[in-house]
Amino acid sequence: MLGMISLACSTRVSEWVLLNASPEKYTLICYDNSPMSDAAKKQNSILTDNFKLANLNVSRVLKEDIKQPYYALFYKNRLLEKFNNYEDIKHIATSPMREKIADELLGGKLCVMLYLKTGDDVKDKNRLLILQNAIKNSPFKDIISIVELDRKNRAETHFTSLLLNVEDDLKNINEPMLFGIFGKFKALEPLLAGGISEENINLMIKFLIAECSCLIKDDLPGTDILYSGIWENPKPALLNKMIDLNPSLGK
Amino acid sequence: MRQEDTLTYDSVAARPLPKWLTDQKTGINTSQPPKIVIKKDNSLNISFAVTGIFVLLVVAILTLYIHRKHKNPL
Repeated sequence: MLGMISLACSTRVSEWVLLNASPEKYTLICYDNSPMSDAAKKQNSILTDNFKLANLNVSRVLKEDIKQPYYALFYKNRLLEKFNNYEDIKHIATSPMREKIADELLGGKLCVMLYLKTGDDVKDKNRLLILQNAIKNSPFKDIISIVELDRKNRAETHFTSLLLNVEDDLKNINEPMLFGIFGKFKALEPLLAGGISEENINLMIKFLIAECSCLIKDDLPGTDILYSGIWENPKPALLNKMIDLNPSLGK
Repeated sequence: MRQEDTLTYDSVAARPLPKWLTDQKTGINTSQPPKIVIKKDNSLNISFAVTGIFVLLVVAILTLYIHRKHKNPL
């Protein structure tokens, strides 16, 4: 037992979360105003099947006072978004960028730094340069990926919306944001605007490479992003190899 | 979503920093609990030895006592 405790405390935060923390589940409720027809039953079954690998529970609620059926997405009992039809939610748990990020995390990367752009070139370039320089100067540059996402990218609408729901005021802030994504698609509360500094980026990296203390485990920051994928058999963390070769990096 | 990170503020510059970042700045995240060092536990051996010595002592005293008692009447 003591051996297990000492092993758990020497695991790094990023690896511990990937191996041990289950992503928080979202809830998708289909509000319907009439008993379920055969077509609706079929659609519901397809929906449940499509999302069986996602951190998502699907349920149906009969509500006779509504004009037309709709879907509502909740995270920790907070309503995130409403959708009017099945087509709108078909790709709610998958997108090309989410798959790419999940591959990086499963491949042993420390984290993926997602830079959410505003569409304002001046603002975006300025902070992106700081991010690129910070990573270039970091000893962990080889195990960190930078991904840029445009808010208007139509293929990533759901993903952008999920990121902007990490905190409830983000939707109203038109500034570049930097999300540290690690574990099984956990997004840290972002650095934004002037907060995207070399010092803060290094603190984010330090948080992810720190030995996993009980304090962190008990109050893990971040929000689990909705994603449909298999998290089994991740490759060994590249960070461990780096620290084995140069132990001073882990201090 | 963390409620404590979403306080009201006047401008983006005045927006509170994420809790993970302030914890990292103050060093809270890096404080580790003291490492548990397992010491060799000798209490059982000591207990056996003390009990053994006590039993031997009692037996010796009783033997002497009985020996003297049976010797004196003659």
